[in-house]
Amino acid sequence: MAALHANVVSLPMKPTGLVKADFVSALVLVALGVGTMVESWNMPRLEERGVQPYTVPGLVPGLLGAILVILGLVLLVRSSRAGGWRLFAEGDGGIGADAVRRVALVLVLTFGYAIGLIGNTPYELATGVFVFAFIAVFEWQKGEALAPRARRLASAAFQAILVTLVVTVVFERIFLVRLP
Amino acid sequence: MEGLTHLAAAFVHFATVETLANVVWATAIGIIIGMLPGLTATMGIALVTTLTYTTAHDQAILILVCVYNGAIYGGSRSAILLNIPGTPANAATTLDGFPLARQGRAGEAMAIATSGSALGTLVGVLFMAIVAPALADVALSFGSFEFFWLAIFGVVIAGQMTSFDDPLKGWIAGFIGLLVAMIGQEGIHAEPRFTFGILDLEGGIGLIPALVGAFGLSEIIGVMIQKRAEMASTKAQVVLPRLIDMWRYRATILRSGVIGTFVGIIPGVGEDIASWISYAAARRRSRERHLFGKGSTEGLMAAETGNNACAPGAIIPVLTLAIPGSAPAAVLLAALFIHGVRPGPMIMIEAPHVVFQMVVMFVLSTIAMAAIGIAAIKPMLMILKVSRERLMPAVFVLCVIGPYALTNRLFDIWVMLFFGVLGFVMRELKYPMAPLVLGIILGDILDKSLRRSLTLTDGDLLPFFTRPISMILVAVTLLTILAGVPPVRRAASALWARVDWRKRPEETGARMS
Repeated sequence: MAALHANVVSLPMKPTGLVKADFVSALVLVALGVGTMVESWNMPRLEERGVQPYTVPGLVPGLLGAILVILGLVLLVRSSRAGGWRLFAEGDGGIGADAVRRVALVLVLTFGYAIGLIGNTPYELATGVFVFAFIAVFEWQKGEALAPRARRLASAAFQAILVTLVVTVVFERIFLVRLP
Repeated sequence: MEGLTHLAAAFVHFATVETLANVVWATAIGIIIGMLPGLTATMGIALVTTLTYTTAHDQAILILVCVYNGAIYGGSRSAILLNIPGTPANAATTLDGFPLARQGRAGEAMAIATSGSALGTLVGVLFMAIVAPALADVALSFGSFEFFWLAIFGVVIAGQMTSFDDPLKGWIAGFIGLLVAMIGQEGIHAEPRFTFGILDLEGGIGLIPALVGAFGLSEIIGVMIQKRAEMASTKAQVVLPRLIDMWRYRATILRSGVIGTFVGIIPGVGEDIASWISYAAARRRSRERHLFGKGSTEGLMAAETGNNACAPGAIIPVLTLAIPGSAPAAVLLAALFIHGVRPGPMIMIEAPHVVFQMVVMFVLSTIAMAAIGIAAIKPMLMILKVSRERLMPAVFVLCVIGPYALTNRLFDIWVMLFFGVLGFVMRELKYPMAPLVLGIILGDILDKSLRRSLTLTDGDLLPFFTRPISMILVAVTLLTILAGVPPVRRAASALWARVDWRKRPEETGARMS
C-alpha cells in the first residue's frame, strides 16, 4: 500500500524508457485520432445521391478517431504524471545500443530483399543472395581466422542454395503457388 | 441425433489415405513450428495457408487445423527444454516444465505435456460439438444492433484480457485495428476511404499480409535482438504418458479443459491467456501448491491442457459468428473464406457438416499429435539446435511468399513489411497484438452494422440499448471497461479481500503478513 501511495503522489526521479515512449506514442495517437476525424469530416456525404445521413462513409471512422483521441489523452495524462514528458532526462530502460544495431541490420536486410531485390531481379537470385547475406552478416565474428570464416561462409552459401531450391520446388512445383 | 449422423458422416468423409498423409505431415510441421521460438502458431497457419491455395477445400482446412493444434502442443518442447515458450501459449508451461527438465525429468515432463495437450484438445472438441450448434442458434436472432455491440465487446474484452496489467494499451491496439479496417472502399456505398489516391489501397488492407507482418517479421526482429538460450537437457529419453497420471489429475484436466475452451470462445483472447488462467486455477485448488513453479507435474498438466483446449474453443465463434476466438483462429477464419466456406450464424442451416468436420479434424490431429509427440522426440530435438541466424532468413523468405501468393501483388509484401515494423514497435511498447488483429476483422462488421442500424431506426439510438441481447452485450461491455479502470479495480480487489477474509481467515492472514 505504501509503495502504491508513493507511486501516485510523488513523481519518480527517473522516468523509465517505457514511460517516455508512452508519452511519445500518446502524442502520436492523439495526432492520428485528430487526423482521422478531420479526414472523416471531409469525406463525401453523397447528398447528390440522396444517401441517408446516417450512412455517410465518414461516420464510423470519425467516431473511431474520436475514441483514439480520448484513449491517447488518457495515456498522455498517465505518462505525463509519471514524468514521461521529460524526454531528455536520464532514464533507465530502452533496448540498448547493440539491440538497436541488430534491429537496424534486420531491417536493412529484409527491406533490401523485399523491396530492392524482389521484382527487380530473378526470384531465385534475390532469395539466394538474401539468405547468404543474412547468415554472413549475423554470424560475422571480428578477428576470426581465415579458414573457419571461409568454412562458415561456404556453409552459408550452401544453405542459401538449399533454401532457394526447396522453396522453389515446394511452392512452384508441388503446391502450384506463384512466386514473386 | 442429427448431430451424431453428421459426425459419423464426417468420419467417413475423412477416412482416406490422402487425409492420413495430410494429417501426419501437417501435424508434424505444426509441432516443429511450435517448437521453434520465433515461429508462432499464428504465423505457422498463415504461412501454410499459402501452400493450400490450390488444395481441395476440406483437405486445406484439415491441414490448417493440424498445424494449429500441433503448434500449440509443439511449443511445450522448447518451454520445457529451453525455458523459452515456443509460442506465447506455452509461457505458463515454462514455470514447471523447465524446473522438471533441470531435475533430469525432461522425458516425464514431455509425456505430461503430451497427455495434457491431447486430453485438453478432446475436452475442447467435445464442447465444440455441443456449444457451436447452440451458439449458432442464438446467433440467428442477432441483428445489426447486436453485431455492432458484439464488435465493440470483442475489442474491449480482447484488449482487457490480453493486456491485463494495462488494459488501456489493449484497447488502443483494438481501436487501431478497427481503424485499419476502415482503409479502402467501404461496404455500403463503395466510397474509398483513407486511400489518398493510391489505387492499391482501394481494396483495403489484407488480413494475411497484416498478420504475416505482425506475427512474422516482428517476431524475426524480436528473436534477433534476444540473447541466446542454452538447452536444459539434450538427453530426452522417450517416456510414455502414464494413465495413472491422467487419472490422478482428472479434476485438473477437466477444469483446465473447460477453462481453456471458454477462454477460447471469448473473441481474440487466445491460448496464452487460457493457459495462465488454467494454471492459476489449478494452483488455487492443488494439494501440492508449494511445488508450483518448482517443478509441479500438476501445474504443467494444467498449463498444457488449458492452451490446447483453447484451440477448438477459439474455433466455436469462428464458425458461428465469423469472429475469431484467438489470433491463430483469425488466420483460420481468413482461410475459411479463401476456401469458399461462409462461417456465421447461418452455418448450421447452410453447411452443418462443416462444424462436424471440424470436430473430426481436431480429433484426427490430436491422435497424430500424441503419436508424433511420443515417437519422434529425438529427431525433433535436433531442430531445436538450428541457430536463429540460420533459421530466420528462411522464415522471412516464407513471409514474403505468403502475402504475395494470394493476390500476386507486390503491394501486399509492402503491407507485410509495414505491419512487421508496426508490430515490433507496438510489442516493445507493451501493446498486445491480438486485439489489433481482431480489430482488423471486426472493423467491417462494426461499420456496416452501425450504419444499417441507424438507417433502420432513422437515427434513434434507443433500440441499441433496449433490445434484449443488445442490453446484455452493453452491460457486459460496460462491466469490462469498468473492471479495467484502475480505481474501480482497486476498490473491487479491496472488497474481494474482505469477502475472502470471511471465508478463509487463516490464508488471508498469512498473505497480509
